[in-house]
Amino acid sequence: MNKRFSITAKDIVTLGAMVAIIEASKAALSFLPNIELTSFWLIVFTLVFGWKIALVVPAFILVEGLIYGMGLWWIMYLYVWPLLVLVAWLLRKMESSVLWAAVSGFFGLLFGFLCSFVYLVTGNFETQIAWWIAGIPWDIVHCIGNFVLMLVLYKPVMAAMKKLCVGKYSIGS
Amino acid sequence: MNRKKLTAVVLTLLAALVVVFGCIFFFLSAKPTGGSKRITIEVVNMEEKSTVYKVQTDAEFLRQAMEEAKGLEFSGTEGSYGMMVETINGETADYNATGNYWAFYVNDKYCNYGVDSQPVTDGDQFKIVYE
Repeated sequence: MNKRFSITAKDIVTLGAMVAIIEASKAALSFLPNIELTSFWLIVFTLVFGWKIALVVPAFILVEGLIYGMGLWWIMYLYVWPLLVLVAWLLRKMESSVLWAAVSGFFGLLFGFLCSFVYLVTGNFETQIAWWIAGIPWDIVHCIGNFVLMLVLYKPVMAAMKKLCVGKYSIGS
Repeated sequence: MNRKKLTAVVLTLLAALVVVFGCIFFFLSAKPTGGSKRITIEVVNMEEKSTVYKVQTDAEFLRQAMEEAKGLEFSGTEGSYGMMVETINGETADYNATGNYWAFYVNDKYCNYGVDSQPVTDGDQFKIVYE
């Protein structure tokens, strides 16, 4: 197997730790509606661990489904979070905390719109648009929360990650 | 494009999108309304005392409009043609016992339908009389 794409026991433990960090952060902030660290961690993990995040996302989505039940929202998660990871991976060379905050903010703002496509399938176009519009105030809260959290945490967390993972994972590769 | 310019453009775009989304919500979100039809329901009881209820409703039929009228209480027997109203505001008209009944009028004409199928249109004046 190509060594670049091999998975070691250490990787599996690291992936488990990543899912645990995301879930713990999510639970810790669950009392604040639409303020979350999932976007932040998925972006950071994508930048630090590269393609291995592709294993974290399905694990995270599965754990979410097992904890909260697999409703319509779970179908949304199947494509929304992988989309964020894909965008982060495509922009992986970017180092500006302000631009990453903007990316995270855009994601928060568009979260409801992206999720609404499930209602296009289960209902119709009107259902989709009505559902999306009804949630816009919360999408704006999501946008602001994502922007601020990324702006504040990006630099210190990335610095710590680089220190911890030096020589083990190629950041930005 | 240098980094400062790029950052400014991206942040402006984000702020503009927030404003656009806010406008979409403000102008296009579903807003609760008090109903599009304004009607009155007048109840004349056995003492010929009149009480008028003003209702703003989207009800298609009289029964729902009566249910929406604050302070108006009514009950009756459910049948295949809907409810046969027997009691209004605690006063029962028992045709079998006294020969009395609740007569329903719309715009001073006798209603052709029961409360479940009597249509409601804007401006209607209903009258329910103990006769």
